[in-house]
Amino acid sequence: MFNTAIWKKTWGDQRVLVLSLVALWTTFPWIYIWLSSQIPMPVFQDVLLRAIPQDWQRLSGVPFTEVATHAGRVALAFVDPVIVLAATVWGITRGSDAVSGQLERGTLEMVLAQPVRRSAVFVTQALATTAAAALLCCVLFAAVFTAVSLGPWAGKVDAVRFVPPACNVFGLMVCMAGIAACVSAADSYRWRTIGILCGFYVFSILTKLVGRLSSSLGWVGYLSILNAYEPQRLVGDPATAWPLLASYDGVLLGLGLAAYALGAVLFSQRDLPAPL
Amino acid sequence: MIVHTDNLTKRYGAFTALDGCSLAVPQGEIFGLLGPNGAGKTTLLRLLLGFIRPTAGKATVAGFDCVHDSLAVRASTAYLPGEARLFRRMNGHQTLDFFSGLRRECRRDRATAVARRLDLDCSRQVARMSTGMRQKLALAVVLATDAALTILDEPTANLDPTARAEVLDLVREARAAGRTVIFSSHVLSEVESTCDRVAIVRAGRLVHEQSIADLRRSHRITARLTGSLGRIPVELEPHATLAEHANGTVVIESSDSLAPLLGWLSTLPLEEVQIEPVGLGGVYERFHGRTGALVAE
Repeated sequence: MFNTAIWKKTWGDQRVLVLSLVALWTTFPWIYIWLSSQIPMPVFQDVLLRAIPQDWQRLSGVPFTEVATHAGRVALAFVDPVIVLAATVWGITRGSDAVSGQLERGTLEMVLAQPVRRSAVFVTQALATTAAAALLCCVLFAAVFTAVSLGPWAGKVDAVRFVPPACNVFGLMVCMAGIAACVSAADSYRWRTIGILCGFYVFSILTKLVGRLSSSLGWVGYLSILNAYEPQRLVGDPATAWPLLASYDGVLLGLGLAAYALGAVLFSQRDLPAPL
Repeated sequence: MIVHTDNLTKRYGAFTALDGCSLAVPQGEIFGLLGPNGAGKTTLLRLLLGFIRPTAGKATVAGFDCVHDSLAVRASTAYLPGEARLFRRMNGHQTLDFFSGLRRECRRDRATAVARRLDLDCSRQVARMSTGMRQKLALAVVLATDAALTILDEPTANLDPTARAEVLDLVREARAAGRTVIFSSHVLSEVESTCDRVAIVRAGRLVHEQSIADLRRSHRITARLTGSLGRIPVELEPHATLAEHANGTVVIESSDSLAPLLGWLSTLPLEEVQIEPVGLGGVYERFHGRTGALVAE
């Protein structure tokens, strides 16, 4: 089920993307915390608690009183598009390359002509992608940790509290990569795989918003994988944060692994079209 | 038989890509596969490798079922696709390293030696290689193995004449080492000079199979007579066929030694005579020429 040559090749394939995200996620927490520190806490609290309608609290997922703390403000970095979109783009990019990307480029033909199981190719790629996601989340946490410990808010926040949000980002990356790999395993065109995944992501955003804003359509929120991505809720009391993380990542990792498993079966059973 | 197919069929909805193909390829032979684009050659090769599943029929390679023992089939087979595409970010050396890692019996030193014979600069990145250089690199990957069966789908496409000759030499060397080669090509002269046997595929059906040795004994005799032809003697009938007879010109096709036929011809009132080998082109024309459809039916 594991192939060393495929493992090395996959790391080579994702090298540029990994290095780009390492650069982005190493610098982003520093910039974010420095920019946030430019707005003094009393001013921020005043704007958040008085100027913004309290109904909007439903969108944030946590009470504004929790957001209006140093930990709450740092936690907002994890729902910033720089983190969320980068994690999503990572998942879609790597997952879509698994089968349809290589079919489209025509490179899968020579690989599968060798004595290697299709499932081994698929699983090894999935392992390399997951390992890289774990590495990136470690980098993200390390950057947040150092920015919190050494930055303008040094001593005001316990940096270890950001382990659960980083783990939640990992869950999102694995989930998106797994679903993308599953679609890729059944498809022959990468552009179509990416299109389907973008549609799925937009659907997830919309269903989450509808579920949050409408009392009668609250159930719609459960159709969204982003319902299990709530890093801002994971910086509170560790006694509640870790069980909450377990439920969130249980959903995300469970969905991701199930999608990978289905993708492996689809890939092993399907006809492979001649290079396009 | 290293390759055996029995009524192998592949349909995509209403379209039949391969229709009831039954074929047997013995070990140590270079087997040519001929046919125009879309005839079903590549479908046959992809069925052998387990890339696609047959709608009906069965295929085995080295005794292994192509569907259920695909891994064992591919361990016994080296395959060069019609349009081999390699990883653009790797250079030639990295490509050879990668494929050596995937196939234990693929010897890296042999791959380097093949690349050198094909005059390939392996230090260049694949993305910066010409189409011909990429083809050479793919050939180095494929011809470096000891696989019992080597399948080459248009191996000389995009190659310069020197490299073409080298590839054909490598194919003959593979046969000399006891390996079997399936050689799919559109270049009839290459097939005729290299293969031991050929099969012609037309519209998904295997319409003709012939050994090259038999083909070399086949001749076409065009004669202009001043008198009547008469009947072909009974003893010559099994190997001589009257193909055309009009306006005093006769065309006779012979599939065996010419000597007895020439003896009979010398008794006829000949004005002029022309003897030429039928050649693979003549056979191919029979099935794929303008009148090919009628002949194949």
